Amino acid sequence: MAQNVNPFLEQQSSGTVKENDTSKRTQGDSHAVTRRLHKELMTLMMSTDKSISAFPEGENLFRWIGTISGPKDSVYESLKFKLNFLFPNSYPYSAPLVKFITPCFHPNVDTNGNICLDILKDKWSALYDVRTILLSIQALLGEPNIASPLNALAAETWEKKEDYKKHVMEMYKEG
Amino acid sequence: MEGEFLNNESTWSICQKVFPLLKDNNYIEEPFQQVEFEELCNFVKKTETQKPLQALVCKKIEKELWNRVVPEFWSYFKDHSDNKKGFELFYTAVDTLYNNYKRLNNIILTLDIFRQRTNLFEVPYNEKTIYNFLKLTLRSALFAQLQVDYQTITKDFYETALRMQDQNEIIMLCLICSQASAFCNCLNLFQETNSKLGEMTLLEPLVGQTLTNLCHNYIYSHIQKICKDNYDSFISNLERWLHSIVIAWLKEIYSFDSYQPLNDYMEMFEKKLVDYLYNAYTKLRINQLFNIVIEYPESLPALEDVRLCLPRTDLKPMLTTKLQKAMETRLLHPGVSTIDILTAYVATIRSLRVLDPSGLLLETVTQPIHQYLRSREDTVRCVVSSLTEEGPSDLAEELNRGEPVDENTPIDDEDENWETWVPDPVDAAPSKGSPKEYSTSRRNTDIISMLVNIYGSKDLFVNEYRTLLADRLLSQYTCDTEKEIRYLELLKLRFGDSQLHFCEVMLKDIADSKRINQRIKEDTEYSETELPLSTMIVSQQFWPPFKDEKLELHENIVSQMKKFTACFETLKGSRTLCWKNHLGVVNLDIELNDRKVNFSVSPIQATILMHFQDKDTWELEELSKVMQCPPTILRRKIGFWLSHSVLTETQLDVFSVQEAVEHKTAPQEEFYVEEFESESAMASAQDQKEEELQNIWSYILGMLLNLDSLPLERIHHMLKMFAFQGPTTECSQSELKVFLDRKVRERQLIFANGVYKLPK
Repeated sequence: MAQNVNPFLEQQSSGTVKENDTSKRTQGDSHAVTRRLHKELMTLMMSTDKSISAFPEGENLFRWIGTISGPKDSVYESLKFKLNFLFPNSYPYSAPLVKFITPCFHPNVDTNGNICLDILKDKWSALYDVRTILLSIQALLGEPNIASPLNALAAETWEKKEDYKKHVMEMYKEG
Repeated sequence: MEGEFLNNESTWSICQKVFPLLKDNNYIEEPFQQVEFEELCNFVKKTETQKPLQALVCKKIEKELWNRVVPEFWSYFKDHSDNKKGFELFYTAVDTLYNNYKRLNNIILTLDIFRQRTNLFEVPYNEKTIYNFLKLTLRSALFAQLQVDYQTITKDFYETALRMQDQNEIIMLCLICSQASAFCNCLNLFQETNSKLGEMTLLEPLVGQTLTNLCHNYIYSHIQKICKDNYDSFISNLERWLHSIVIAWLKEIYSFDSYQPLNDYMEMFEKKLVDYLYNAYTKLRINQLFNIVIEYPESLPALEDVRLCLPRTDLKPMLTTKLQKAMETRLLHPGVSTIDILTAYVATIRSLRVLDPSGLLLETVTQPIHQYLRSREDTVRCVVSSLTEEGPSDLAEELNRGEPVDENTPIDDEDENWETWVPDPVDAAPSKGSPKEYSTSRRNTDIISMLVNIYGSKDLFVNEYRTLLADRLLSQYTCDTEKEIRYLELLKLRFGDSQLHFCEVMLKDIADSKRINQRIKEDTEYSETELPLSTMIVSQQFWPPFKDEKLELHENIVSQMKKFTACFETLKGSRTLCWKNHLGVVNLDIELNDRKVNFSVSPIQATILMHFQDKDTWELEELSKVMQCPPTILRRKIGFWLSHSVLTETQLDVFSVQEAVEHKTAPQEEFYVEEFESESAMASAQDQKEEELQNIWSYILGMLLNLDSLPLERIHHMLKMFAFQGPTTECSQSELKVFLDRKVRERQLIFANGVYKLPK
C-alpha cells in the first residue's frame, strides 16, 4: 500500500501529523487520510458543478480552501463565499473544522465565521465528504435553522427580506 | 694598402695578374707565370702584407658577388609566365650563377696556394677554409637580395620534374620541351642543375623550403585525386607510393647536397613526410566521414584505414567535432525523414563500433542525434514500425538476432578473454556508478537497446508498439495473427513478458473473436439476415484508447447488432458488447440500373448508401441529423461516392443516386476499390495528451477559484502534488506555461504581474 503513495506527499503529510495532531497516529492511518483526500479532490475537480469548489491551500493537503456561490433565488445569489477546511488526522472518522473566511451574515454563522451545522458536529459520518459539506453549507445559506441561532440579529431579521439583504450586503462588503 | 703596392709598380702588376679581380671591372683572366707568382709571394713575405692582400682580394670577391653575380642571378626571376619557361629560367639562372661561381672559385684556388706559400692561416669571417668563405659570401649575398616570389619559379622547376618522375602519370611527351621522352634531355638538365646547386651548397638553403611545400602539396593533391568518392582502403598503397615516388625522387636530388650528412637528414624528412601523408589522409577521411558512415558497410575498408590512422595522428577530437557538425548540418534538420535519420543512426552505430570498440566515440558523436530524435514526434512510431516491418530492414534484422535488452543486469565478464581487454580511452568521461559496469554497458549495448535508451525507458516503446499492433490488427480484418505472434515473441525476448502482456491479450482477443463469431453464428437463436455480420471483440482494458467518432448506423444493421449482442450476452454471462460504430469495414455490392459494383468501405460510407436505399434523395442537413455526423465530415465521405459516380449532387447540398452513368468514359462493369483509411483508428498521442491537459485544466480551475491567483511555479508545484498521480501523466513547467498561455489567449485566464487568475 505504502508504495502506491507519492513519497514526497507522504513526507508532507506526516510532517503535519506531528504539528497538528496531539493524539499519536500511526503512519498507515495518515496514508489512508491522504489517499482519501486525494480522491476527494479528484472527484471535486472532475465534477461539473461549478457552484462549489475546493482546493488545498498550499502544500499541506490537510488545509483546504473552499468556495461556494450563494444559492439561486436567495438573498445570497451571485455572492461568493470562501471557507476554510481543516482536516484532522482522524478524518474521515471525525469531521473537518469548517469556517467562513468571507464574512457572512447568517443566523447559523457567527462573526468569527464559525458555523452551526449538525453534520459538522454530532451528525458527522464518514460517508460525508468535502463535496457534501459544501453542498450542505450552500443549502444552509438558503434555509437557515432559525431555532438555534448563532447570530441573533440575523435570526430576527430573516423574515424581513429587505432589511436582511441590506445586512448581508454590508457584511459581505466588509470582507 | 694599395699604396704600398703602388710604390712597387711591377709587383702590383704581377699581383693584378695573379688576382685579376684586383683590376677594375671587366677583368680578363690572363695566364701568369710560375715565376711571377713566386716573386709576388716572396715580396709579400718580405713586406708581411699577406693579410692585407688577402683582405683586398676577399673584399673584391664580395663586391663582385654583391654587385654583379647575385643581381644577375635574381634578374632571371623577375619575369615568369608558365611552367615551361620556369624550368628553363631556373636552369639558365643556376647555370650562369654556377659559371660565375666557378670563375671566382679559380681565384680562391690561387689564393689558397698563395696562402700556403705565405704561411697565412687566417680566414675572413672565421671560416674553416677559404672555400667556405666563398660559399658563405655567396649565400649571404643571395639571401640578402632575395627575390620575394622566387619560390614560384623554383616550385615550377621541381614540380615539373616531379610530375615527370611520377610513373602514374603516363607522359608521352616531355613536359618541358614537348619532345618525345626518348629524345628529351630535360631530366639530365634537371640533374645537372641539382648537382650545381649541391656544389655551391645552395640546394637546401635555396630550394629546401620549396621542396617541402611541393611535396606536401603533391601528396595532398594525390590523396585527393585517389580518395575522392572512393571508400576503399588506400593507406598502404599511399605509403608505398610515397616511398617509391616522392621519397626516391627527393633522395635523388639530395644526393647532390654537400651541405649536411644525407642519411640523417633524409631519414628525418622521410618520417615527416609519412606523418604528413597520414595526417592528410586522415583529415580527408574525416571530412568524408559522414558519407563513409552512410555508405556502411560498403565503406568498411575506409573505416579500417581511419581506425589505423587515428592512433598515429591524434585527430580524434577533430573527428568528433567534424562528424557531429556534419550530422547536424546534413542529417538533423526538418528536411530529413525520421526513417532516414534512423537508418543513418544505425549506420553510425555500426561504423563507429569499427572505429572505437569502447563505444565512447559513439556516445559523444550520437548525443545530438539522441537529442534530435527525442524532439521528433514520430520517432518511436518509426522505430517500432521498422522493427516489425516486413522485408529487409536493419532494425528487423537486428530484432531477429534476438538478444535481450538488459537495462540493469551487470554482465558477468569473468568469461571474457582478459588478454584482449583494452582499457577505456583516456578521454572517457568519469562514469556514473561503478566504472566497470558503465564501461561494459557501453561496450555491449546493441542497436535496439540504444534506440530504446534514447527515451530512457522501454514503456514508451511498448506503448507505441501496442498502438501500432492495434492499428494493424484492426485494419486487416482477417484473423491471421501468425506473423504478429512471431514479432511479439521476438519483442518479448527483448522487453520481457510483463511489458508485453497487453499485446498478448490483444492477439488473444483476435483469436477469440474468431471463435465467438463462429459460435454465435451456429446459435439457433441468432438468425442471419441479408446482412452477414462478423465481429472483432476486443477487451477494452487492454487495448489502447480508440478514436471516438459519433455515428448512428442504419437501423437494419443496428437491429442485427442487437441480436448479436444478445447472443453474446447469453454466451459470455455477465459481459456485454460496446459497439464502435465507426470502426470496421463493409463489403458492398451495389446494383444500379446499368451496372454492378463492389466496394470495401468504412461503416460511415456504407451507412450513407444504406440511407439512399430507403430514399433516393437526401439533403446534407437531413442526413447529418439521421446519422449524427457533422455535415462537414459527411460531405467529405459523400465525396467518395460522388467520385465513383454512385451519387450525384443535384443541387447544392442535395444528393441523389446516380442510376445510370451518362457518359461512359471508361468501362466500369466491375471494379474493386479499396478505400484506404490512412488515419489511425487509435486515439493519437496528441489526443491523449489533450485529454490529460483537460484533466489538468480542471485542477487549475479549482485551484484558481479557491486561491484567487497563483504564479506559474506554484501551479506547477501544486499540480505535481495533487494532480499527477498516475505514472504516465507528467507535464514540465514549460509545457504547462504553453498550455496556460493558450488559455490566456482564449480568454479563459488572465495573466498579470506574474500570476495567473480567472477572469471575473
